[in-house]
Formats: sequence, structure tokens, C-alpha cells
Amino acid sequence: MSWLSRLLRSRTLDRDLDRELRAHLDLMTDDLIRSGIPPEEARRQAAIALGGVEQVKEASRDARGTRLVEDWWQDTKYAVRSLRRAPGFSLAAILTLAVGIGANTAVWSVIDAVMFRSLPVERSGELYALRHSAPSGDDPSYLFSYPGMGRLRDVLPDSIPISGMGSIVRMYVAAAGRAEPMQAQLVSGNWFQVLGVGAARGRLLNPGDDDAGSPPVAVLSHTYWDRQFGRDPAIVGGVIRLNGYPLTVAGVVEPGFGGLTVGLQVDLWIPLRLQAEVRYSGGAWSRDANTDEPWLPQDGIAWLTLVTRTPAGAFQQTEARLAGQFRAELLERNSDTSDAAGRARRLRAQLVLEPLAKGFSPLRQAFADPLQALMVGVGLVLLIACANLAGLLIARGAARSQEASVRVALGARAGRLFRQSLTESLTLALAGGLVSLLVAWWGGHALVRAASSGPQPIPLTLALDARVLGFAALLSVVTGLLLGLAPAWRAARAVPFGSFQAGGRIAARSLHRLPLGRLLVVSQIALSLVLLAAAGLFVRTLRNFLAVDTGYAAEQVLEARVDPRGAGYSQEALPGLYQRLLDAVRVIPGVSSVSLSMHGLGVGAQRISDFRVPGVDRPPEFNRQGQENFVTPGYFATVGMVMLRGRPFTDADRLGGPRVAVVSEAFARHFFGTLDVVGKRFGYDQPQFEIVGLVRDVRVNAIKQRPTRMVFRPLSQVPEEYVQSVEARADGAPAEVARMMRFAIASVDPDLPVREVVPVAELLSRGLSRERLLARLAGVFGVMALLLAAIGLYGVVAYSVAQRTNELGIRMALGARPGAVRAMVLRDSLAMVLTGLALGILLWLPLQGLVRNLVFGLSPRDPTTLVTAAVILSLVGLLAAALPASRAARVDPAQALRAQ
Amino acid sequence: MNPDPLVKPDLLQGTLDMLVLRTVADEALHGYAIAQRIRLVSGDRLAIPQGSLYPSLRRLENQALIKGEWSTAPSGREARVYRLTAKGRRRLDAELREWRELTTAIGLVLGNA
Repeated sequence: MSWLSRLLRSRTLDRDLDRELRAHLDLMTDDLIRSGIPPEEARRQAAIALGGVEQVKEASRDARGTRLVEDWWQDTKYAVRSLRRAPGFSLAAILTLAVGIGANTAVWSVIDAVMFRSLPVERSGELYALRHSAPSGDDPSYLFSYPGMGRLRDVLPDSIPISGMGSIVRMYVAAAGRAEPMQAQLVSGNWFQVLGVGAARGRLLNPGDDDAGSPPVAVLSHTYWDRQFGRDPAIVGGVIRLNGYPLTVAGVVEPGFGGLTVGLQVDLWIPLRLQAEVRYSGGAWSRDANTDEPWLPQDGIAWLTLVTRTPAGAFQQTEARLAGQFRAELLERNSDTSDAAGRARRLRAQLVLEPLAKGFSPLRQAFADPLQALMVGVGLVLLIACANLAGLLIARGAARSQEASVRVALGARAGRLFRQSLTESLTLALAGGLVSLLVAWWGGHALVRAASSGPQPIPLTLALDARVLGFAALLSVVTGLLLGLAPAWRAARAVPFGSFQAGGRIAARSLHRLPLGRLLVVSQIALSLVLLAAAGLFVRTLRNFLAVDTGYAAEQVLEARVDPRGAGYSQEALPGLYQRLLDAVRVIPGVSSVSLSMHGLGVGAQRISDFRVPGVDRPPEFNRQGQENFVTPGYFATVGMVMLRGRPFTDADRLGGPRVAVVSEAFARHFFGTLDVVGKRFGYDQPQFEIVGLVRDVRVNAIKQRPTRMVFRPLSQVPEEYVQSVEARADGAPAEVARMMRFAIASVDPDLPVREVVPVAELLSRGLSRERLLARLAGVFGVMALLLAAIGLYGVVAYSVAQRTNELGIRMALGARPGAVRAMVLRDSLAMVLTGLALGILLWLPLQGLVRNLVFGLSPRDPTTLVTAAVILSLVGLLAAALPASRAARVDPAQALRAQ
Repeated sequence: MNPDPLVKPDLLQGTLDMLVLRTVADEALHGYAIAQRIRLVSGDRLAIPQGSLYPSLRRLENQALIKGEWSTAPSGREARVYRLTAKGRRRLDAELREWRELTTAIGLVLGNA
């Protein structure tokens, strides 16, 4: 019989053994009777000869070799039974653990998805992105031109392909009479083959789709096919209009694949050669090029991110060849040696292959630090919960010390008691771990929603897969051990009959003071201080950000984000559209003024140009960049920018007239060294523009940025530019005005896509999603920690008071006043709190480094925050101790002494 | 029946297992009968501590050297009888060989002394 079947049949085997031993006794008794011994005596002698039936059984069970597991099973049954006898405690403990473990698993599942998960492509370890330092600066760049991609392809053998892709951009698909926004990406024909991604329906792109004469096609992602077309198989072969251009749907990608950028789900892919047809104008770097002409043939427009697949063995050769070609082109482009310093700087650029196994991830950069801080935070919460429950378990163990003594007296070994107590904690932790999966599932998605900056959650795949489940399981076991070691150690020290002395009271002073429990309370307070201090820092950071002066009236301005380019407007039609938009929005009740601008406030879209001031010589390293925006005359009044000098634009600033500009303080200071700039001239290369006005410093892109060097120019003087924002100053209810703005814009052109109409303040606050998330979660953790620590302190003090009733009674009988007794208990509690605080400060010191990059407007070692946290903890601690303290003061000496 | 054997050795586990194997080699016996047979054959010199017999039977059974089955004894009582398996037979042969070599060797040494 195998070990396993012995284990599974242990109950049957036990019964068999019992029968067999009884048969043995019977046979022997028969023999003895036959030899003339009376039945009673015969039975007795037979039993003596066999030895104790139970001992024989034990020894036989040992021989079965399944003892350990059977004991464990018995311990578990015992644990479950004893937990069921205290359902309130067990439920509270399991829920606490479920929240603690679940929160950790939730953060882990997000960390896993953002930081560690590999792309769902074939052999992702072989994929690399081509990265180089941008020619214009030292920021890394991934962008190459289309001809450049061809030249790099040519230096590699056919077995090592290079594939190109544009950035992921919003485009519009005509559906049911309106333009539906979706995420599109332009890719080269071999892209899917290089990645090794398959089709769920139809076919994916292939190199033939790069040919100029091939029919224009699109490939859908599985989620988009599901969301937009309800998995209609007939869509394959059908025609959709993307930004107005008709495309045949060639196929659908297999489920689970959404592109190479973690946290961005691509809906549709089309061949690169359709760039001009779909009016793609995603991220690009251009030099000596015309971005209004098709981009494909132009070497001056770098707009493609290149991806290659190289087996590990060929990696070095591939990288060397690509870097060599890149270097040769760089030298050729920079053959002009007149600007030596600039040339040397540009020649520093190098091409390297960057592993792409985990995909591109802007999320990874933005959330690496906060996620790490969160992981530590939830870890601390779990630790506090463990310490708290361990304290409760010890108190429970103390209450059951009589039972333990009986068991020791009956022969239970210390090891067995230890194991049994530990099994109880492990059972609790595993039950908590099981429930925690619900918390983790919900919490992970809540976390992603909270971290998302827009109205849509970040499309992040959070799977409860083996890695996440394994994490939860491991954490549950570790938690169970952490939770159970101290109580188990105590349980194993039970002495036979010890608890029976003095009527069940433990005599030794050190025992009724529960030293282990006090240690646990001290550590809870220490950990709580860390969490509270962090919460304070994050809340104040958020408040500091919200208090930043943007330089305009973000609260009162509604911004409608429109896309006339996506709607297919020609440049000639733009001025007419602009006038109609202004007219339609202006008449809305509650709108006091209205304007248009190329890039709206708070959305981060920006155009950066190099500027020059005539007659001023600057060193080559001087940063000549400024940000440009084109606006209608009402802009400054509408958004509430303050004119410090000069005048805003007027209707008199028109095409053909003198070209004018309004600049910001930061621009004036940087380029002119003075604010006295009205009347001065500057430009891209010649002094094209005259400054007519100066506005106070503004943060147009995000609150977190420093004031931007802004150049505003009248839209009327650049009528070919596409505006993306309609601003309205709302005096009425914002929600109502926003609704009316949608109507007004739709009345101008129902096909003009309106992405959203929102207060600028809301757009800005999206840029603070990280800070908000941290402040909110740290606050929740802080309060949880505070509550747990208070409960823990209360429990230990209350237990100690209950155990000392007798002693307190004697004290009072001898003349101690109730006030003195209360003070004694409070002093005792305060000592624990202060020890915890001191420990917490020691713990906080090394942890500050974690949050250094996450605070704004104050130092991570800000003393006010720490002191506030310490004061709050002390007050809550004293409050928790006050109840048992006053109970101690009410002890009736006569009763307490009689109770003995 | 004499309850006091001449020799009451503290039987080594391995030895007891060998004795049990040898005893059930000729015919299937139940636990009590095994103990009786050993005592009888040894001329009352070997009394197995009956408490050790059943753990030994379990051990042997786990190793598939013997096989236990419930049957009705001639007396009409139910008993679990054990018989040697083929594997047990091989093991017994090996053990016996080893035992003989060992006793021969010890006998030679002692005889020459």
C-alpha cells in the first residue's frame, strides 16, 4: 500500500487495527480460560500481556509513516473547531487579514502588470527597441525617419528583421452618424510577423501592405472588435472610415494583444504608407522638412520607433552593425564644422538596443516610485495587523492556559503545543488569504482607476494568475507565521498545573503584564507613526500643489477639446469654422467670453520652437526653446491671464499686418533679462515678431511644471493652424454651460469630434493623479494603522487591568485613591506609546528616502509633520487607555478581594 | 501454558521482523498465532513483547513483504491473517543467508577462542 493511500485510508486502517487487537485479546483470553483461569482474570492477563491497547495503536500508527500529516490534519481540525467556538473573533481576524493580505496582493498585481509582466508576444526576450540620444539634446529618443529605417534594415541580414511603428494616436472612426474616438497606430507590414502575433479572424498586415498600390487595410484589436462591433465576424472584409479615409478590415488580432505600450490599448493598426491619407501627425522630430507633405519619403522627419528581433547569439553583431550605420549617418549629417561645440555635442549621440521584453511603459516611469512607496505602506499595515492579532491570540491563549496545562499534564509535548498553536494562526491566515483574493481583485482595479488621469481607466490587464496567486499564498503563510510565532512560543511554555495555582490566576508578575503583548503594542505604535507621517507628507504635498498659482483662472474656464483635423477640415475652411464656433459659444447664457487656441490649457499638448533675439549673442549651450500657442483676441480675458504690460491681441492684428506676439514673464526674463520687453523684436531666425504685451507667469501644461516660457501669437496671423480647444468663461453652473457648449459645437458641425468639455481645473488635477492617489491611500493606511494600534493598546491595557483586579483591590484597600490608580494605568500606557514613538522615529529615518521624489513644497524630514503625527498617536493612545484606566479606578476593594 | 519464558530478549527491530517473516513463511497466521508460534518453536525461549508485534506487522505490510487479510479462524473468531508475498519470500531468503553467514562467522571466532 503506498504512502498516499495509507494516508487517505488512515481512518479505515485505524478501525482495522482496533478490530485486530480486539481479536488478539479474545483469542488469548480463550486460551487462558481453556487453561483454567477464570474469565475475568483471563481477560486481565491478556490485556497485560499485550501492553496498553492505546500504546500499541500509537506505535502501529507511527509505523504507518503518515504520522506528521495526520497530526497536522488533526491540528487543523482542532484549530477550525476552536476558531468556530469564537466566531466573532475569528471573523474579525479573518477579515482583518483579508484586507491586509488583499491590499498587498492588489498592489503587487499592479506592480507585476506595470513592472514585470512580459509582453504577450513570441519569445519576448529577443525583442529590442532602437534607442539613440536625440540630435537636439541628450534626452533619449526612439525616433527614426522612414528612409532611415530602410538604411538600417540594409545593414542587417534577412534573418534579423526591423519593423517600424508610429506613436499611438487618437483617430476617429465614423460610426452611426458620429465620429467615435479610438486609439490607432501606424505600423510597417512586417510588424506583426516580427512580434509573432497571430490573427483571431482574417489576416494581419504583411509586407505586401507596404506597397504603394496595395489596397488600404486595417487590423482590429480583439477588444475593439468586441467593444465596437460586438464580435461581428462580418466586419472582416467590411469598410470603415478612419479620419474620413475608407479602409478595408483585413482581420482581427488574437485576444490579449494590445500593442507594445503597457497601459495603452491600441484599437486598430494600419500600414505606415497611409500616413498622409489618415492625416497622422503623432510624435515626430523634424528638421529641414515640410510636415504638411507626406512623411514617408522625407528623411528630415523622424517619426518611427524601430523594433528588431535578434536571437541572443547574434545580439552583439546586430547592435554593432546598427550602431555603425547610425554613426556613419551622424558624421555625414554633421560634416559642417563651423559650430564646433554644437557639433561635438551632437556627435555624442549613440545607438543602442534596448530590451523590449516588458514593452514600453510611461507608467513604469511615472509610477515606479509611488508603487514602491505603496507596497511598503500596505506592508506596514499588514505588519500592524499581524502584531495586533498576535496580541489578541496571546490574550486568548492566556485565557485558555488552564486547558494547555491539562494537556501538558496528560503528556502533550511542548513541540506539539507549539505546532498546534501555530496551526491555528496559519489556518486563520490561509482563510484570510482566500478571502483576500476578492479584496485583491477589487483593490487592484480600484487602484488602477484611482491612478488613471482621465475619465477612462488605464487599460491594464490585471490577472489573478499563478504569479499573483502565488504571491497571495506565500504572503498568507508568512503572515500566519508572523502572527503565530509569539503566541505559539507562549503556548509551548505552558506548565502542568501552573494555571491551577491560586485559582487559575497566574502568580508571576511578569506574566500578568503580558510582556510580549506590550512589545507588540509598542511595535504597532512605531509602525503607525511611520504611516501617519507619510500620510501627512502626501496630504501636504497635494495641498501644496493645489495652492500653486497657475497664472490663470482654472476654476471658471471650461475647455472644449475639439479636433477639426480629425474631422477632415481643409486649411482653407478653417477661418470660417473658427468664426462660427466663436459665434455659437458666445451666445450661451452664462458665458461671458470665449476664445480659441491651438493647444488647450492643462492637456500637455505643446509646440516647442527655437527662438532668437537679434543682436544678442548666446553661447551654444543656451537653451533657445520656448513654447508657442496661437489664440484668438479674447483668449487672455477668457482664461484670466493677467496682462502686466502692453495690450492683448485685438481684431486689428490680422493677416498681412505687423506680426505681433505676447510673451510670458519667464520668456522675457530668459531671452531679454528684463520685463521691459514691449516693443522689442524676436523670431525663429529673423526678428519676425514684435512684442505687444507681457503676461504674468503661467503654468499652461501642468501644475507640476515650472512657469513656461510662453509665446502667444494671434491665430488670425497663422490661419492654417488647427485649433484643438474652445475656451469659455463660465459665470453660470459649469455642468450646464458644458452641456450647452456641446450643443453649440454640434450645431456648427455635428461631425466635429468633441473629446470632452471640462473645467480647466479638472484637466490640471488629472496631472496630480499620482499625488492624489498617494495622499488618499496613505491617509487610509494611516487611519487603519491608528485604529489598529488603538485597539491593540486597549486590549493589552484592559487585559492587564482585568488580571490585576486583585492587586488593585489590595492597593485601594490600603488607601490608594482612585485618581492615583487611574494615573498609574495611564502612565503605564503612556510609557508604551512613548517607547513606540521613539522606535517609530528611528524607523522613519531610513524610510524617508523612499518618498523624497514624491513630496513637493516641503522636506521629507519635515519636523511639523512628524510632530503632528506623534501628537495624534499619543492622544489616540491615551484615549484608548482611558477606558480600562477608569475601570481600574472603579475597582471595589471588598469585591476584588472576595473574588479570590 | 508457562507465561515466563527462559529468555526475554530485548528484540531488535530487524530481528523481530525477520522472525515474523520466517513464521508466516510456511502458512498464513494471525497476530496472536504468530506470537504463539515463535514462542513454541523457540521452546519457550523467545517471548515476543506482544506490543511490538503489531507495529512490526504494519511495517512489513507497508513494505509489501506480507499481506494481511481478514478470515475466520477455526474457533469461529474473526482474525486478520498474514501471508508472505513473493517480495517477502525474496527478502526472507536474503536475510536468512545473511544470518547464516553472520552466525557462521561469529561461531568460527568464538569456537577458535
